This record gives sequence, structure tokens and C-alpha cells, in this order.
Amino acid sequence: MAVSDTPPRPTLAQRIMASEHGFLALVLAVLIVVLTLSADRFLTPANAVAILHQSSLVLIVAVGMTFLLITAEVDISVGASLAFGSCVVMAVMNETNSILLGTLAGVGFGAAVGGINAVVTTVLRVNSLIGTIAMMMMLQGGVYLFTREAVQNHHQLPLFPKIATGYVLGIPVPAIIAAAVAAVGMVVLARMRAGRLALAVGANPSAARLSGYSPERIKAVAFVVTGALTGLAAVILTSLLNAGQPTAGTGFELTVIAAVLLGGTSLMGGRGTILGTILAVLILKVIDNGIIQMRWNQDLQIIIPGIVLILALYMDQRRRGGAGG
Amino acid sequence: MVEDLATPEAPQTGDTDAARPTLRVQGLTKRFPGVLALDDVSLEVRGGEVLALLGENGAGKSTLIKLLAGVYRPDGGTIETGGVERHFASPADGLAAGIKVVFQEIALIEEFTVAENIFLEDHLAGRFGRVAWDEIRRRAAEIFDRAGFDIDPEVKVKDLSISQQQLVEISRALAHEAKIVIMDEPTSSLTPAEVRHLFGVIERLKAMGIAIIYVSHKLEEIFEIADTCVVLRDGKWVSTRPTAEHDHASLIKDMVGREITDLFPRSDRPLGDTVVEVRGLSTATGLSDIDFDVRAGEVVGFFGLMGAGRTELAKAIVGYDPILSGEIRIAGTQLTPHDTRRGKALGIGLLSEDRKGEGLMLEASVTRNMTLAALDKFTARGFVDAAAERAQAQSFVDRFRIKLARLDQPIGTLSGGNQQKALLSRWLMFGLRTIVLDEPTRGIDVGAKAEIFALIDELAADGFAVILMTSEMPELLGLSDRIFVLSGGRITGSFDTETATQEAILDAAIK
Amino acid sequence: MPRSSSTATVRTGGAIGLLRQVAAHSEIALVVSLVVVIAVFSLASEYFLTVRNMTNVLGQASILLLIAAGVAVTLICGEVDISVGSIVAAVAIPLIAIMNVTESMTLGILGALALGLTIGAVNGYLVAYMRINALIVTLGTLFIVRGAVYLYTGKRAQADTAYLESFFALGNERLFGVLPYPALVAGVIVAALIWVMRHLRFGRRVYAVGGSAEVASLAGFDVRRIKFYCFLISATMATLGGILLASRLGAAVHTSGIGYEFQAVAAVVLGGVSLAGGIGSIFGVVLGVLILAFVANGLGMINAPTEWQQVITGLVIIAAVALDSLKKGRR
Repeated sequence: MAVSDTPPRPTLAQRIMASEHGFLALVLAVLIVVLTLSADRFLTPANAVAILHQSSLVLIVAVGMTFLLITAEVDISVGASLAFGSCVVMAVMNETNSILLGTLAGVGFGAAVGGINAVVTTVLRVNSLIGTIAMMMMLQGGVYLFTREAVQNHHQLPLFPKIATGYVLGIPVPAIIAAAVAAVGMVVLARMRAGRLALAVGANPSAARLSGYSPERIKAVAFVVTGALTGLAAVILTSLLNAGQPTAGTGFELTVIAAVLLGGTSLMGGRGTILGTILAVLILKVIDNGIIQMRWNQDLQIIIPGIVLILALYMDQRRRGGAGG
Repeated sequence: MVEDLATPEAPQTGDTDAARPTLRVQGLTKRFPGVLALDDVSLEVRGGEVLALLGENGAGKSTLIKLLAGVYRPDGGTIETGGVERHFASPADGLAAGIKVVFQEIALIEEFTVAENIFLEDHLAGRFGRVAWDEIRRRAAEIFDRAGFDIDPEVKVKDLSISQQQLVEISRALAHEAKIVIMDEPTSSLTPAEVRHLFGVIERLKAMGIAIIYVSHKLEEIFEIADTCVVLRDGKWVSTRPTAEHDHASLIKDMVGREITDLFPRSDRPLGDTVVEVRGLSTATGLSDIDFDVRAGEVVGFFGLMGAGRTELAKAIVGYDPILSGEIRIAGTQLTPHDTRRGKALGIGLLSEDRKGEGLMLEASVTRNMTLAALDKFTARGFVDAAAERAQAQSFVDRFRIKLARLDQPIGTLSGGNQQKALLSRWLMFGLRTIVLDEPTRGIDVGAKAEIFALIDELAADGFAVILMTSEMPELLGLSDRIFVLSGGRITGSFDTETATQEAILDAAIK
Repeated sequence: MPRSSSTATVRTGGAIGLLRQVAAHSEIALVVSLVVVIAVFSLASEYFLTVRNMTNVLGQASILLLIAAGVAVTLICGEVDISVGSIVAAVAIPLIAIMNVTESMTLGILGALALGLTIGAVNGYLVAYMRINALIVTLGTLFIVRGAVYLYTGKRAQADTAYLESFFALGNERLFGVLPYPALVAGVIVAALIWVMRHLRFGRRVYAVGGSAEVASLAGFDVRRIKFYCFLISATMATLGGILLASRLGAAVHTSGIGYEFQAVAAVVLGGVSLAGGIGSIFGVVLGVLILAFVANGLGMINAPTEWQQVITGLVIIAAVALDSLKKGRR
């Protein structure tokens, strides 16, 4: 464990490979170059906007999930919560004719689900993988007890669908919301006390407790934030579909978690960045988009992320010298 | 592999040449990146002999054991058992060659029964790998009979005490007809009664003609049971002599290689107000009815053997663990149990004995480790001022002479002593006035120890109230102003350091 | 209480001691829970406790039972396999395709096993030898295999056009008109697995590796190879589940098995297998699967919306795990 002597100056390539985000950025850049060269419609403003649009929902939830994984917990129920949340949003809007109340209901619903997950994990001490799988089952069953079919738009709010389909200065509104969420997440994690405590709890919960912090409280906050962001995503999804869709969100949790892990966040907690998550979401969505642009079979859209995920972890393992994972 | 164990006392006559050593090690060398962990070490041990292997932390004892066990492979030198040179690819090979190591960390499967653990290697499996359960139970019972161990072969290992688990490990050696049993610090977690029992077991193993290598730094034990002493220092062989030719001073001189003077400075410590008052404290972790006070400017030492309740007391009084009854007051205000935030606000904190498990964030930078507790001081409206944080960390690095390359290197890359100083800085930076130190020098080399001792003295002189939990007698006597002895979760003795004797303290510790 | 019985009192402590022992042995607690579930629904519906319904439940539970038992083996060795749902869908493709061409069920099943074992070997290699986290590896293969199924089938079910009687019978008929063949197949295979885990050296080594990989390697076991084999077992069990499902559906359906990984993990944990490895039994998993199956069936019998089944399953799992961890925490 001795401190090594000054090592030989690493080459640029070595530094990129070794840096936390250099590798992801490189992958993203290579993807963009290759796709630009091979599909003429890839590098157009319209397509760039489309990619941002598609990235938004995943990124919003992935920001919360990054915090959650950093505290060494996980939430599998986000997909089911997204679907249930969208039905709640539309039902409340049909009832009240208010976008504000519908939005609050969506975010509140998500936060409440996160709150229950928090209680199950920190008070009942159920492993969060299992607890949130159970929550996912309950939400999947529950949403059909709540509504048998999609909740259609019965309200007269022409503005609402525009949230998801509208543009401000040529940028889709969901992308602006996602960027804002990611920016806040980045600042909180890198610069604020709350982010530092999340990292500390994930790195060593006993040390955090001995230093006068409550790991349970910090984890609970991460659960509620992830839940609330899922609720926010549900509002956007509802606006996009202009309906509450109980079957939406299948597999969403896996996409989100894959993105966060690809972004370099550790499953064991204590390590992760929002920038990594952003890059990973973009990589996955550029691949998605590329598959469409190249007119490849769209089923590749779930194969390639799987391969990328395993490869990324393999590279990470190699970089860290084979220990842990 | 296992012959009929019922044959009595066969091994003694098994060797045709009685003079031939059971184990011979010649020129054993092991290199790790940047370190020569073991450098040309030779030794011999014969059946029925107890050879003590001594040395300080880092002397090369554990490297030697792991080479003998087959965990590591040597870079040079040879290992012979029964006159045959051996090359171990794995611990299983070591066992097959007749060497069984009883590690400090007991290597048993907790969820398995005692009997299954004894035959873990092969499960006495017959054709198609079918486990011979009846045979396993029968042979386990036989071994216990022969060795005189009073253990039920059918209980799960997790329900046994550490000393019973050691006996299970020794039984594994007997089951495999091992000729050499190596015990790594076997008494470190035993009660005095259990130590006596273990010594009885060692006598019995000797009588069976088994060679024993006994690793310990407890000199009293060495003088009691060892026939020969081999001392290592900095990976090198220092001396091999019959125990009878040694006394305390000669052994210590061989181990340390120099005389350490003035390890424990004692400044003038002006006494202040009473800052810690504990009354009738009992906990689910085994403490009962603990009463004591600590004043500012004094070091109060708590001595106790393994399991006496030191760590439990430390964790209760800083608010880490819940309590059953009693009262803890810090600076006159009642502490809320099981709430470290409250304890911290009242100015009391704990430096844990378990640095990795409860102290360090190994992958995080030195700075972030140092500023964890004091984070609020660098925080304004939720934002952390990184520049102020670094500056503060740097000032503590200078003050405590923490050796590092960069402030942002992971703390896991520092040495144990420097890690400990960084963790101490964590609390001093926060500015608490009462600190509980649980085994503060565990796993730290001698030089860094002296620095930590000086620091503790400095703290007391500065008006800190210091509560020191320790199982090291010199540390206890060298640092404390007053001494309490814990045993079985109770205070069984209290002394002024000036009038305390080691005998009286030990006597109270085994009550 | 008389003096002479004082030692016995210490051991059992009368009724409370008995309760404590029941709680300590999760299998006994599970049997009690199963009996309670059956009793409650028997009172609620006269059609519940009939031979027909009971055997129906066994038939319905058989596929999940096979899959869950396989997942349990990976958890016992300290890892996890969540790719099983995708394996269920994938193996049906060679099965049906080969049968359609060769009209041989044996060849079809061999083809299915070959694919299943290949996927299991990839999982096992990446986890055991490349040391990549098992959750991530199998999450990756879950995606990849499902995507490959979609790609190959063009998201259309592949119908069984060979109409082999024996293959139809495998998933749909009953032994002596009573016991559904899927239940028989699953029962025999899972019983064999129980025996392997209890009485074969290999099974004991799986427990040892999950209990402490370090102790296992000190004892000379090839930890990596044992973990590798566990993934082969889990993939094989999922393959068998996939074969039964394909027989029942009479086709290779591209969406089959979605979400099975979560149901399986839930049943396994309910059955007392620890996520930490080395603890739990396949017999407990059988009980866990049966409890979930009887709850689902019973809710149908009392005409509750079937979705209640998921809600209650979720609650049961949280309750079971919470009780277990709170019990441990207090110690």
C-alpha cells in the first residue's frame, strides 16, 4: 500500500481511458462520427432534437436513480410507478381541469411511492432490491384495480399535450426539463452538502453514522427524490400520450438502471456522477436513434444496450485492476 | 486419506527417524510489489515440539504462515515435510502435506454443522460424490472423544463461541492426520479460562506427536508453553533459541531491535469541569450498571479483555447504540441514546477500532475523509466551500505530519498510522471536546504509535476529555490518569494510575 | 414446574419455545403459512379444496417452480440470475423449429437445452471468470436474449406445426387423468435438485461458496468453477420451464417469460433463501412458490380481481423479509 514513485507521464489515450468520463465521451463521439458518416439524416437539427426528446424521460429518472445507487440502494419500481403515475395524472386532470393539480398529483404520487419504498427499506429493513420488486408488483396489480384501461383525455386543456410536444427556442420542453433536473442533480452531487452525505453513506454507512449523520434519513431522501422525479416523468409521459397508460413503463426500470451503471455509478454505493449518467443516457439513445436511421431492425434497440452494459462493466473492471465490481 | 483414528497414539512411532524434523523451512523468501515481506528465513520444528513465532506487526509472521499454508507461493526457498520437498498450489495441498493453519479469522462455514465443517474438504464423499453423512457424524464424534473436546457435532458453527470454533479447526487437523498445526494469535479473543483450556489441548496435541507453531505477541503465554522461540523482524530471521534461554528483556530486544524510550509523554494536564457523567448504564449489547465520570483535561482508560464490553461502552456513550436503562450526560446535558447527531452536537465522538469498517471511506479522497464530520463548517446555504475545506485539511496534514502525496489521493492508499491521524483530524476539525478512542493504535507500527500517543497527551493537555478503550496494558498505564477495568459488561475495578499495578488490573479483568 | 424437567425447560420453554423454534426454522413457518392459506380459502370457497383445483394449482405453479429453484441455486452460491425470463422465451424457438423439421421431441428438447446451456455458460463465464457483477451481467443478457428473440421471430409466435402427441401431452395432459404432467416433471426434477443440494458434495460446496468464498477457497474448492456450474443449473431449469410453457402454448411465443425473473426472485426470497448467499433450501423455495400459487388461485376462486394477486404477493414478500430481518436485527 505504499505510495508509488512518480509514475511515467501517461499518454493522452491512457488518460482518456483512465478518466471517469473520458471513455464515455469518447464512445459517444465515435458513435456520432460513425453515424454521421453512414446515415445522412443523422446529423440534422431535427434528429438532434429527436434524440434529446427521447432521452428526457430516462434522464429525469436516472438522475434520481444515480443518487439512490450512490447511497447503495436501488428502486426497481420506477417503471410501474411511471405507468400508475400517468393514470393518476390524467384522472386528476379530468376531475379538476387543472394542469397544476394534475402535475402535483403526479409528482406527489411518485414521491409517496418513494416514501413507502423508503420506509420498507430503512424501517422494515427489507433489502431494497426485493422491497422495490414487491412494490413494482403491487403497483402493476394496483393500476389495473385503479383503471381497467387507458385513462383518456376528457378535460379541455389544449395546453397540456403541448408540455411534451412543445418547443422553447427550438428545444423540446421535456429536454429542457430534463436538462434542468440534471443540472440541479450535478450541482447537488458535486457541490452541496446533501450530495457529499449521499456519497458518504454509500461509501461507509457506519462511518457516516459515527460522524453524526443518519444513513436512514439520507437514504429515505434519495428514495423520495427518485420517486418524485419518476412522478415528474409520468406527467411528461401523460402529456406525450395525452392519456394515462397502465401498460406504459414496462422495462423502463431496467433501461434507467442500465444507464446509471453504464455511467460509472457503483452498485455498491459511494461512487457515481451525474455527468456519467448523462453521457450514458445519450449513448443509449444515440444507439437507439442510429438503429432507426440505419434502418436496422428495431429489435436491436434492446440487444445493443445489453452488450454495451456488459462491455462497460468489463472495461471498468479492467481499469480498476480486477478488484471488486 | 483418513485412516482409522481409533488406533491409539500411533503417530509417535510413525517416523522411523526420530531426529528428522517434521517441518523444515530453508531460505524462504516472498516479495510483494515494493516490499520484501520475507527474506531468507529458515526454521525447523519436530513432532511434539511447540515453536513460538514472534515478531512485531510487519515482521513477516503472517507471510510465513500463509506460505506454509499454501495461500501464497514463495519466491525462493523450500518447504519440506516428512523429509519431502513440497510445492503448494493451494491451501488444500498444504493440508494434504500435513500442515493445518488455524487462522485468527476462523475459516469455517458458519451455517454448516460442526461435523460437516470438520470434513469440509471432501465430505468423505463416496461414488458419484455422495456425502457420507453418517460417516461424517461418526468420525467427528470419534475425534472429539479422542481429543477430549466437549462439542456437539450436530450444532451449527455459528452457535459456537470463538474458542469452540478453534477446537473445531484443530479437529479438522486431526481428521486429516496433520503433523503440523499452526496457530495464529489463537488467544487474542479468548477468555482466561478458555486460554487455559487451549493450553491443555496443546499439551494433548504434543503428546500425539504433533508439531505446533504458535504465533503470538503475548510473552507470558510464550514462556508458559513454547519450547523454542523464533523471532522475526522486518521480514528477516533474527534468532532461534530455546525458551529457557530467554527472558522478557531478551525477547523484546530481539523483536524490537532497539529500546524504545519515552513512548508515553505526559504533559501537565490541568483538570477542568466534569464533562461526561454516566449513571446506571445498561444495554442490550451486554453492559450492565455502568457508572463513571470524566473531567476535562484527563485521560480515563478502560481496560478489558476481548468481550469485556469496551467497544459496546464506547458505542453507547456516543449515542451509536440504543440503551436499556441509565443516563448519559455530556457537559451537563442528557444525551439521546441511539442518535449520533445529538452526541455530536454535545461534543462527543468516537474513533472506532474498526478503521475500515466504521471509519474510512476507502475510495474517497483524504480531504473528504477528514472533513466528513465538520462538513457543516464549510457549508453555506447547502453549498460546500471546497477551497476552505482543502485549506483546513492541509493545516491538519501539516500539524499531524500526515504523510501523503496529494490531498485528493484515496485514503485507502495511506498507511495505517496516517489513516488514523486523518480520522482523528475528522473529529478535531469538527471541534468536539470529548473524544472516545477505541483501540487507537490497532494495526499501527511502533513509530506511528508513539506519534498517536503524543497526540493523545496533547489533547488532554489542551483540555479535552479523553476516554481510552484498550486491551494493551502499556498503553493503558502510559496514557491514562485514571483506570477502569471492564469484565463481562461491568466495571470490576477502578484505579489511579499511580497506584495501579498490572497484577491488580488483570485480576479485575478476569473477575 | 418440577425440578427434573428444568433442563428441558431451558431448551424448549413450553409453548413459547415451540413458537420460537417454529420461527427459527423458516421451513416450518412456511408450511404453517401454506396450511393457513389453504384453510382460509377452503372456508371462503367450496371449490377451492378439491382434487381438481389442487392439482390445477400444482400444474400452474410448475413452470415458476422450475425457474425459481434454478435462481435459488445462484442465490445460494452468492450470485443472482435475472436472465431466466428471457431464456424461457429463447429456448422455445429451437425447440419448436427443430420439432417442426424433424418431428422429434427429443431432438427439439436437446436443441432447447443446447441454447439454454450456452446462455448459462456465457452468464457463468462473465460472472465467475471475468468477475463482473452478476446482477449486471444477467441484466445485460436479459436484454440481449430478449432482443435476439424479437429479432429472430419478427415478434411473431412460432407455431408448433409438428403436432406431436407426446409434446402436447407434456404441457396439457394429466397422469391417470389426475396429476398434470408439468407438475410431475417439475416435481421430479426439483426433488432431484433438493437431493443434489443436500446430499451431493457439489451441493454442499455451493452452500460453502455462498457462505464464504474465502473459506471455500481455503478448503481447496475451485470457487469460480462452482459458480460457473450454478449458472448452468439456473439456465437449465429455466430451459425446462420454457419447454413446458411452449408445450402448454403450442408455440414459441416471443413475449413469454417477461417478468418471470422478478416472480422467481420473490418466491425464492419468500422461501427463505438469503440474498447474502449460503442460506436457504430448495425445499423452502417449493413452499414459497406454492404459497404464492395458492394465494393467486384462491383469489380467483373468491372472484377477486386477479390483479389483487400481485398486490398481495408484494405485501407477503415485504412482510416475510421484514419479519426475517427485524428478527435478525434484534439479536
